[in-house]
Amino acid sequence: MRSFEDDPRLADLLSADQQARLGQLIGALGGGRVSLEEQHQAGAEPLEFNLETIGWLQGELPAERLDAAARLVEFVLLFVAKYRLAANLHNDTTEASFAELQRQHAALQASEARYKALSEQLQERVEDQVKVIEQAQQQLYETARLRAVGQLAAGVAHEINNPIGFITSNLRVAGDYLDELAEKVPGGHSASLLLDDFRALLRESLSGTQRIARIVADLKTFSNIDQADFIPCDLNALLTTSCHLLQAESQQAIDVRLDLAPLPKLAGYPAKLSQAFFNVLDNAAKAIDAEGVIRVGSRLAEDVIEVIIEDNGTGIPPDVQERIFDPFFTTRAVGSGTGLGLSVARDIMRAHRGEILLDSQVGAGTRVTLRFTCPNTP
Amino acid sequence: MAEYLDSERKLNLKVVYYGPALSGKTTNLMQLHTLLNPQRKGELMVLETRDDRTLFFDMLPIGLRSQEGLDLRLKLYTVPGQVQHDSTRKAVLSRADGVIFVADSQLSQQDNNATAFDNLADNLQKLGMDIESLPLVVQFNKRDLPDAIDEATLQARWAQTPWSPLSLASALNGEGVVESFRQLLRRLYPVLDREYQLAGRHGIDAEAFVRQLSAAHEAPHA
Ligand SMILES: Nc1nc2c(ncn2[C@@H]2O[C@H](COP(=O)(O)OP(=O)(O)OP(=O)(O)O)[C@@H](O)[C@H]2O)c(=O)[nH]1
Ligand SMILES: [Mg+2]
Repeated sequence: MRSFEDDPRLADLLSADQQARLGQLIGALGGGRVSLEEQHQAGAEPLEFNLETIGWLQGELPAERLDAAARLVEFVLLFVAKYRLAANLHNDTTEASFAELQRQHAALQASEARYKALSEQLQERVEDQVKVIEQAQQQLYETARLRAVGQLAAGVAHEINNPIGFITSNLRVAGDYLDELAEKVPGGHSASLLLDDFRALLRESLSGTQRIARIVADLKTFSNIDQADFIPCDLNALLTTSCHLLQAESQQAIDVRLDLAPLPKLAGYPAKLSQAFFNVLDNAAKAIDAEGVIRVGSRLAEDVIEVIIEDNGTGIPPDVQERIFDPFFTTRAVGSGTGLGLSVARDIMRAHRGEILLDSQVGAGTRVTLRFTCPNTP
Repeated sequence: MAEYLDSERKLNLKVVYYGPALSGKTTNLMQLHTLLNPQRKGELMVLETRDDRTLFFDMLPIGLRSQEGLDLRLKLYTVPGQVQHDSTRKAVLSRADGVIFVADSQLSQQDNNATAFDNLADNLQKLGMDIESLPLVVQFNKRDLPDAIDEATLQARWAQTPWSPLSLASALNGEGVVESFRQLLRRLYPVLDREYQLAGRHGIDAEAFVRQLSAAHEAPHA
């Protein structure tokens, strides 16, 4: 049967065996051969169920008995049908309930997947926000630091310039006086030795003041923080300044070898570019020992300017390389560095539409390449 | 949904008695079985009950054969009213051509009536049927009981619905049962006529349709 309410056929209610057995029993009762048939036969009595003729009772019985026998079969069929209907209905509703359950299950799974995706999305957005905040924080920190250093440097430079000026001129005058003094002092071996020594002292002092003056000039470039707009920068000059500063800052002598090719001017913030160079140089200086060498080169290839800072120091292990641009990441002992160095350098490079590339091998050294594209190269 | 078999010129219809538990659906059907004398009437099947409460359904087949040769069958079903048999109710309700909602007139039963009517609307919707366009008669049964809500109140309450006027019955006494059925037949006919041209193609007009399907042995009260 298709649906519980579709009209059954005789075969739906009684199997062929059961039909034969029922026929036999009724035949035995009635005293003649009797059989249930699906097809109409001459002289057969119709078997009705639900106003439907679903079969025929065929038999060698008197009409009256055949009629009674047919009603008996219908009576039996009614109870068989009741059971069938109930069973089919039960089956229908069970299937419907199961289908409904499956539908609900699928809907539940779908909504679960939706929520999962949503939560992953949220997680991603939180991480993005954290990155943005970290970056802003880092920039803020850097700006404040640069400003403080710049102000200090500018103040120191200003204060030092005057005394350096009169020290220098006084030293020169002292030299002249010495010459005059030499003429007036009576000749003698020990006196002339003393005067030569004196002259040497003055010469050394003068070269010392010149060195101080140069450092002050470098400091002024380095702390050029109030520059709001891009101005044409001489990268080689900035590199040289940064190297001087590195050497001045270091306790030991550092072997820095410059190999600079002529470069076009690049639009940028000089103070920031110096900062980027200095940070990379500073890392290189910390990676090398007494025999170490830092090679600083610049070159122009088509419209790309490359600044290469290379050392033959300890190198950076691969796992550290992955994180070296993370803000606040440092491999050095706490206190010896903020860890901001390379991350700041990278940000500065980005601000100049440039990039920073790292190539390092443990035990062999590190090469940092700073690439700028300069659009206005002929 | 009615089912028409052109080869046999046979039209199968289904009417369902719906309503809360113990409102008298089975009683309605048993009375119809006794009272009706249509052209053709089959056995009343009371499928299975526990404490007189329907577990599956009851069914009474009736029919007529028009002079034009249309073999029209109408199966009357009751659903189990108890809340827990909802999936059975839905299965029996599916593809119904008309519904007689048997409500209990007793004051205490009004919540049950409302719940059952909501359930009818709900199941019709799940089965993709529209309660507004389905031929539907609302019968308030058990009018004989003392705490039955009075008729004027009930009629006024339902006046604004598409199912006004209500049908009133005392099924236990056989009163209003045939009338409710006739009212349903009158609401059912136009729908069938539109779909199957009962008058045009089969020579059955509204009057013949109602009269032949609801011919009664004797009017219980004129
Ligand atoms: N007083 C009174 N009792 C009635 C009337 N109609 C039915 N009853 C009684 O109400 C009880 C329930 O009747 P049923 O016809 O079995 O109710 P039902 O709606 O089929 O109930 P379910 O099968 O459980 O859904 C029976 O005891 C009936 O005798 C009526 O008009 N008046
Ligand atoms: Mg019942």
